[in-house]
Amino acid sequence: MLTYFILIPIIIAVFLYMLACGKKGRAIAIIFQTGFVGAVYYVFTLTRQEEILTNIGGYDSILGIYLREDTMAAAFVLLTAIFFLIASIYSFREKDGRLFWFLIFIWQGASVGIFLTRDLFNAFVLIEVVTVVVAILIMFNRKNRSIYDGMFYLMLNVLVIKFYLLGLGYLYRMTGTMDIVIATEALVGMERSELVLPYALMMTAIALKCALLPMFSWLPKAHGSPAAPSAVSAILSGLHIKCTIYLFLRMQEMFSTLISAYEFFLVIGVLTGIVGFVLAMAQSDIKLILAYHTISQVGLIFAGLSMGSYYSHIGGMYHIVNHALFKGALFLSAGSIIKAYGTRDVYQIRGLLRRYPGLGIATLMAILGITGAPLFNGSISKYFMATDASAQMNVILIFMSLGTIISFVKYGSMLFGKSDAEPEAGVKVPAEQQIAVFALGFMCFFTGVFGVQSVQFLFNTSVTIDRLGYLEKAGIFFASAIAGFFIYKYYIKTSKLLKRLRSFEMGFRSACVCIGVFFAALLLTVGLVQYYY
Amino acid sequence: MNTGILNTDLIELICILVFFLGFYGLIATTNVIKSIVFLWVMEMAVIMFFLSIGYNIGIVAPIGTDLVPGQVADPLPQALMITTIVIGLAVTAVNITMLITLVRKHKSANWDILRKKSSES
Amino acid sequence: MIYAILVLWIFLAAIIIPERRGIRIIIYFAIFSLVTALSFFLLGSPDVAMAEAAISTFSTIFFVICFEKHFRLKADGEGDPEKKEVSKAAAAKKYVLPLLLIVPLFALFIFFRPGPEVSTYLKDLYITRFAQDVGGVNAVTSIYLAYRVYDTLFEALVLVIAIVAVSHMSAFKEMTVPDGEHSDIERDGLAVFTIRIIAPILLLFGVYLVMNGHISPGGGFQGGVAVAAFFICRYMIYNIYDMPVKKIIRLEEVLFMTAVAIAVFGVFLGAGTFVPLEYLRLYQESYLILMNILIGLKVACACIVLFYRFVAIERR
Repeated sequence: MLTYFILIPIIIAVFLYMLACGKKGRAIAIIFQTGFVGAVYYVFTLTRQEEILTNIGGYDSILGIYLREDTMAAAFVLLTAIFFLIASIYSFREKDGRLFWFLIFIWQGASVGIFLTRDLFNAFVLIEVVTVVVAILIMFNRKNRSIYDGMFYLMLNVLVIKFYLLGLGYLYRMTGTMDIVIATEALVGMERSELVLPYALMMTAIALKCALLPMFSWLPKAHGSPAAPSAVSAILSGLHIKCTIYLFLRMQEMFSTLISAYEFFLVIGVLTGIVGFVLAMAQSDIKLILAYHTISQVGLIFAGLSMGSYYSHIGGMYHIVNHALFKGALFLSAGSIIKAYGTRDVYQIRGLLRRYPGLGIATLMAILGITGAPLFNGSISKYFMATDASAQMNVILIFMSLGTIISFVKYGSMLFGKSDAEPEAGVKVPAEQQIAVFALGFMCFFTGVFGVQSVQFLFNTSVTIDRLGYLEKAGIFFASAIAGFFIYKYYIKTSKLLKRLRSFEMGFRSACVCIGVFFAALLLTVGLVQYYY
Repeated sequence: MNTGILNTDLIELICILVFFLGFYGLIATTNVIKSIVFLWVMEMAVIMFFLSIGYNIGIVAPIGTDLVPGQVADPLPQALMITTIVIGLAVTAVNITMLITLVRKHKSANWDILRKKSSES
Repeated sequence: MIYAILVLWIFLAAIIIPERRGIRIIIYFAIFSLVTALSFFLLGSPDVAMAEAAISTFSTIFFVICFEKHFRLKADGEGDPEKKEVSKAAAAKKYVLPLLLIVPLFALFIFFRPGPEVSTYLKDLYITRFAQDVGGVNAVTSIYLAYRVYDTLFEALVLVIAIVAVSHMSAFKEMTVPDGEHSDIERDGLAVFTIRIIAPILLLFGVYLVMNGHISPGGGFQGGVAVAAFFICRYMIYNIYDMPVKKIIRLEEVLFMTAVAIAVFGVFLGAGTFVPLEYLRLYQESYLILMNILIGLKVACACIVLFYRFVAIERR
C-alpha cells in the first residue's frame, strides 16, 4: 500500500509534463495535493495502533525492499503532505508551470520515499533523485549567478554521496544486508572498532546535507537563490533539510547499540547554531537572512536531538515540525514581499503591516514563533529542550535564543515605519499567496497554544508542561527580547566586523577541504573514544 | 579461504587509494571539467570496492543454473552498481549542461574565476 | 592479472591530476574507464563491466563535445583554461598543501578499516532462490528487474529528469537547430567508411543484449546504449540533424510510464501468485524480456536525446 504514496505523485508528474496542461494542470495539482493530504492522514491514523509494513513484490525474507511507516515516519509524511499542499496553493500562478509542477511532484514523491524506505541503498537512489531535482529548481529562472549556485550544490552533494556509498559498502560487507532493521540486529554482535569507519563515512554525508558547521557553504546559495521560486526556497528550508535529519535519526538508531557520537553532534550543533545566527546578522538580503537562519535552527535541532534525555529529544523533534511551519511562512511571505517591493534589501522595506496586513500579520506570527515567544510554537519546543538540560546547556540555549532574537529584530523592522522604496498602489499580492502564508503563520500560533496536544498527536507520546517553568521561560524571553533590541540598536547596526562577514563565501575547493576536515574530526572523535572505554 | 581474503584486502586498499586520489584531485585542481572527471574517478573506486566484496581468485559471474554460492560473485552489489552508474550518467549530463551554459557566459571553466564573475553579474 | 591492471588503474587516476591540456584529460579518462571496465569483468561482473563501458563511451563523447566547441576560447589553443602557474612556489603550494589533508585522512582511513570478514547472508539467499522466484538465468538481471525493480524505476526516473533538465536549459533553447539541417563539420572519409561498417553491427548487438538480458550478460540498459550508439553513427555518417527530439522525449516518458505500470502489475501486486503453476515459468520469462525491452528502448531514447542536444551546439 505504501508504495503508491511514492509512485502516484511521480506518475502524475510525468503525466502532467507529457500532456502539457498549463492551466488545467495546476487545478489537477491542487486537487491531487488535497487528496494526498487526506490519504496520508488516513494512514497516519492507522499508524497510531501499529506500524505499517509493505514488502515490495512479496518476496520471502529480505530479498525485496521493505517500506515501513512507524510513528516517526508518519509524522514526517504528514508534514510533507501538508507542506506541499500549501506550497502548491502559493505557487498556483507559477510561470513556466509545466516544468515546475513536474519537478515539484517528483520531489514530493521522492521525499515521501525517503521517509518510508527501510533500505539504505534505496535511500541513496532517492537522495540522488532529489538532489538533481533541487539543482534544477535552484536555477529555475536562470538568473545571474543561479547556475553557478546550482552547479556548486549539485557537485558538492554528488561528491559527498560517494562517502555515503562507500560507508554503505562496508556496512554491506559486514552485515550482508542493506535493510536498516536487519542491519541493526546484525550489528549487535560486532566489535565497536569495526564500525567506526562506516559510521564516519555515512555521517559525513548526512552532516553535509544537514549543513553542519564547516560544511554549510552550499546552503545559503541554494536556499537563498534569487532564481528559485519562493515555494521552492520554502520547501528546501522547511522540509528538504528534514529528510536528512530524519536519515540522521535513523542512522543514529541503527548504530546506537555500539556507537553514539552524541557529544560530538551536541558540540557541532551548538557551534552551527552560533555561527548560523552570527552570519545571519551580517546579511541584508532578506532571503539570505532566512537561509542563514536555517543553518542556525538546524544547529539547535541537532543540539536538542543529541542531548540524550527524553524531553530534549521530543523538543528537537517538535522543533523540526515548528521550524518547517515558521520558516515556510517566512520564506513564502519573503517571496511575496520581494515581488511587491521590488527589492531584497531588508533596510529598504518598511511598513509591511500597514501596506499588506495579511502578509504582515503572518510574518509577525512566524517571527514570534522562531524567536520563541510565549504562546507560539517555538517556545514549546525550546521549553522541552531546556527541561532536562544541565545549567551550562541552559545558558547556551538562552544565548542561542538571544542571537535569534537579535537578527529577527532586524528582520522585524520591515513591519513598521516608512521608506522610499514603497511599492506603487498597483502591486497586489495574489489572494492565494496570502492564504498560504497566513495558513502557515496561523499554524505557528495554533501549535503553540495547543503545544502539548500537538506533540501527543504527532509523536504519540505523552508530555506535560510545568506552568511555573513555562512562565519563567516567558520571563527570560521578554528579558532577552529587550536586551536583543538594545544590542541590535547600539552594536549590530554599526558593527564593522559584521559588514566584513557579509561577503564571506567559500569556494568549491574550500568546501571539499571542509568535508575532509569534518570526516577526519568525526573519525578521530568516534575512534579515540573506544580507547577510553 | 585465507588467500582469498588477502586478495580482497589488497583490492580494497587500491580502491581506497584511488578514492582519495580523486578527492585530492578535487581539492588540488581548479578546473570544473576536471572536478567532474574526478567525481567519476571516485565513483569508479566505490563501485570497484562494492564489486570486490567477497572476491576470490577463480570466481565466476553469477549467471547460469545450479550455481554454488561459494564459487560465484555476489549478484546484489552488481545490480546496485548498474543503478549507480546510470545515476552517475544522468548527473554528469546535467553537470555538463550547466557547465556549458556557464562557460558560454563567462568564457572560463575555472572555479575561482566563475565564482568571481558570477557574483559580479 | 587483475593486480597488473589495477596498478595501471591507479596510475591513470594519478596522471589526470597534473595534466593541463584538456583533450589529454579526456583521453586519459577514457582509458581509465576502459581499464575499470576490464577489471570489473575480471572481478566476475560482466554486467557492470558492460554498463561501465557503455556509459564511459557516452560521457567521453560529452566531454569531447564540451572541449571541442566551448573550451577553444583560449588564445593558446589549449582546451584547458586552467592558468599556467606563476611560479614553482605557487605550484608547490597548490599541489602540496592538499596533501597535508589527504595523507592523514588516508592513514586514518586505513587505520580504522574494519576487518576483512565478509557476510554472505544475502548473497547465499539470492543465489539459491533467484531461479525459482524470478525465473531468470542471470542473477543480476533478476535482482535488477524483479527483487529491486523499485530502485530501477527511480534510476529510470533520474534519466527522465536529466533529459527534461537538459532540454530546458537556456543555452540549448536558444540554439535549437532546425530539423534536417546539415552539420558544417567535415569528416574524414576513412572514419565515415569505418562507421558505416560498424553501425549495423552495433544495432544488432544492442538488440541481442536487450533480448538476451535475462539469460546472458547484458540487459536493457547496456543494450539500450548500444542501440543509441547506432543513431549516433547515423549522425556521423550523414551529418544531419533530423531527429525529432521532442517526439523522442515524449516517447521516453510514455515508455517510463509503461515500465512503471508493468512493474506494478508484474511485481508490486505480487502477480506471480495469481498465475497458474504451469504458466509461471512463461509468465516470469515474458516479464523479464518485456521489462528489458522497455528499459532498453527508454535508455536508447534518453541517450539519443542527450547526444542530439549536445551536438546541437556543436556547430556554433
